[in-house]
Amino acid sequence: MLAFLGTTALVLVAGAPWALLAAAGGEDLESPQNVEVSIIDDVFLLKWNSSESVGNVTFSADYQTPGMHNWIELPGCQYITGTTCDFSSVKLSVFEKIQLRIRAEKGNRTSPWHEVGSFIPFRKAQIGPPKVHLKAEDKAIIVNISPPGTKDSLMWAMDILSFTYSVVIWKNSSSVDERTETVYPGGKIYKLSPETTYCLKVKARLRLHRKVGSYSPVYCVNTTVENKLPSPENIEVDVKDQSYVLKWDYTYENMTFQAQWLRAYFKKILGNHSDKWQQIPGCENVRATQCVFPQKVFSKGAYFLRVQASDGNKTSFWSEEKRLDTEMQTVILPPVISMKSVDNSLHIYIGAPRETENKSTSQHYPLIYEIIFWENTSNAERKILQKKTDFIVPNLQPLTVYCVKARAVIEDEKWNKSSVFSDILCEKTKPGNTSITWIIAGVCTALFSIPVAIYVVKGLLRCINYVFFPSCKPPPNIDQCFSEQSLKNLLLSASEEQTERCFIIENSYSLVTVEETSQVDEDHKQYSSQTSRDSGNYSNEDENSGSKTSRELLQQGLV
Amino acid sequence: MSAKPDVIQKCLWPACLVGLFITGILSQNCALLNVHLSTVTWQNLKLLSNRSKPFPIECLQEKKAFELPQEILSHTQPVKRDIKKVFYEISSQVFNVFSQHTYKSAWEEKYLMEIQMGLNQQMEYLEQCLEEEEKESEDMKQMEEKIWSGAREPLLSNLELRRYFNRIGNFLKDKKYSQCAWEIVLVEIRRCVFYYFQKFTPLLRRK
Repeated sequence: MLAFLGTTALVLVAGAPWALLAAAGGEDLESPQNVEVSIIDDVFLLKWNSSESVGNVTFSADYQTPGMHNWIELPGCQYITGTTCDFSSVKLSVFEKIQLRIRAEKGNRTSPWHEVGSFIPFRKAQIGPPKVHLKAEDKAIIVNISPPGTKDSLMWAMDILSFTYSVVIWKNSSSVDERTETVYPGGKIYKLSPETTYCLKVKARLRLHRKVGSYSPVYCVNTTVENKLPSPENIEVDVKDQSYVLKWDYTYENMTFQAQWLRAYFKKILGNHSDKWQQIPGCENVRATQCVFPQKVFSKGAYFLRVQASDGNKTSFWSEEKRLDTEMQTVILPPVISMKSVDNSLHIYIGAPRETENKSTSQHYPLIYEIIFWENTSNAERKILQKKTDFIVPNLQPLTVYCVKARAVIEDEKWNKSSVFSDILCEKTKPGNTSITWIIAGVCTALFSIPVAIYVVKGLLRCINYVFFPSCKPPPNIDQCFSEQSLKNLLLSASEEQTERCFIIENSYSLVTVEETSQVDEDHKQYSSQTSRDSGNYSNEDENSGSKTSRELLQQGLV
Repeated sequence: MSAKPDVIQKCLWPACLVGLFITGILSQNCALLNVHLSTVTWQNLKLLSNRSKPFPIECLQEKKAFELPQEILSHTQPVKRDIKKVFYEISSQVFNVFSQHTYKSAWEEKYLMEIQMGLNQQMEYLEQCLEEEEKESEDMKQMEEKIWSGAREPLLSNLELRRYFNRIGNFLKDKKYSQCAWEIVLVEIRRCVFYYFQKFTPLLRRK
């Protein structure tokens, strides 16, 4: 026990000079200040400041990731004499946290560690400049872009297809009219002048992660001499009778054209897509400035279309690429309207468009109805925009013919798509609610109230007559009684006699009726007995057959 | 006989989810794009689940747990915009995975093209939606930036999602993009996509 204590004391004593030495070294050497990590694409740099004189002082860094228990020397950042080191060679997982620490060293002495708070490389990373390669046409420049970072970039491995590139382009002669455009890698910038020097710079952006890259160096290129044959212009796609109509404009006559298509998503995927363009069936060697192809040619999705002109010997450059989104190419059908005049207003109902064979999808869109409304005799039109499908146009001229037509417009400022107008519908308004209606109403009420009044007066008169001037006479026999006998006799004797008579009559009647009913009963008995006999026969048979069947069933059940 | 209800279940389940999901999220802005987005998403899910080939048994050995992140939205009640962003991230990552695929048969080529085309459209509609909204709500943007500048975790903690897709990518690379690796990844992606639809549905309904 004592021996153990002694040894620990010894160790402590022996350790003390070391600790003192280290402390002395700490006083001597200061740890690096303002340590910063900068990550651009796949280049990881560690930067710091140090007050130590440069001579013989070196710096070393360690790193640690959550799975590790110890610090590990950071490759590329050992015994660095400068104030920067590159640790890109460490293949770190860019989405995992990492911690760094750095210290200064001189001979055996070291400074305390300076720790850099943990960070996630991807969060810290900045997008570097993309590499750009330009190719000029006469009125366009093809911008080939390789994404930021190295070819096998770890940092952007998952984002290479998500980058969006914006190009700032200007004429070399004047940097005033700058133009900013978003391009796909390998995309074109159109509407340029031939034989002009254009300069541009490109930057990449990751929308979702709010990362905006730095601009590439400025690249300049001369557009070529104007081609003899211009490329087709104003390309448009319409839908007609389940076919697409591709139209374009061209300056010269007697040319042949061809059109091609490309799936839109190819543009997102890097690489050269020039071989992936395909001919549109029905749009090869077309002489007209349009061609028609069935909608079936394209399955659902987004495509690019382009057109080229040729005169047999020479060909033009390809036209601007027109995007075709089959989902967006729905035809909106005109609505069906009906109208009803109510007083001096018109009630307009808008019905859903008539459905065609291929179910129109327009009903899913949020639609606004544009209603044009005018008096038949004048040309002054009123435009009403309505979301509701039934509404009232109030305060109209009475007895006037109004006409209405309507169309459905998709509720989207950008899109600005609408149906054709519906058929024109006209309706005459009812007479207004001015004096005429009042007169008619008055006449009507008067006509109605006169017979009622007459009837009421008549009834009243009858009542008065009945009460005050009873016109009815007593029956003739009572009248006789009044005349022949005194009032007293009549009241007493007459009543007695009457009751006696009544009794006799009642008796005789009841007897007769009793006899009659008994007769009927007998008849009924006879009849019922007959029927019972008949039914007895039947029922017997029935019983037999019933028992048979039940027995049979039983047997069957047993079998 | 027993296969039929199974098929129905397979088809109906995503149908219901997508219906609820899409109409729920995209109720306010970019209304028109939403219509397209919902149809496109529905098609994509159908495509993903319509793979006729059964999973090859010999690939079972190579199966790997990719650890689908359970919590990718840092809020229990996420903003609809965040869900859209997650949705965008998923779409673009799935597109990214598929674009590395090298097909071996014509059927596979067609199948892959259709999926990529659908995903691309889905992404583009979402991009437009998000951009439109960004323009509309400058205040919100400023708010978001404040949060960002505060070096806090962003609203959308989708680095989890990235790690997950990174694992998938690394798996493919390690297996040298073998047929089995692809089969496994395909199943995983289907699972992932459906999982999130199922997860977001109740969240969206709550509002």
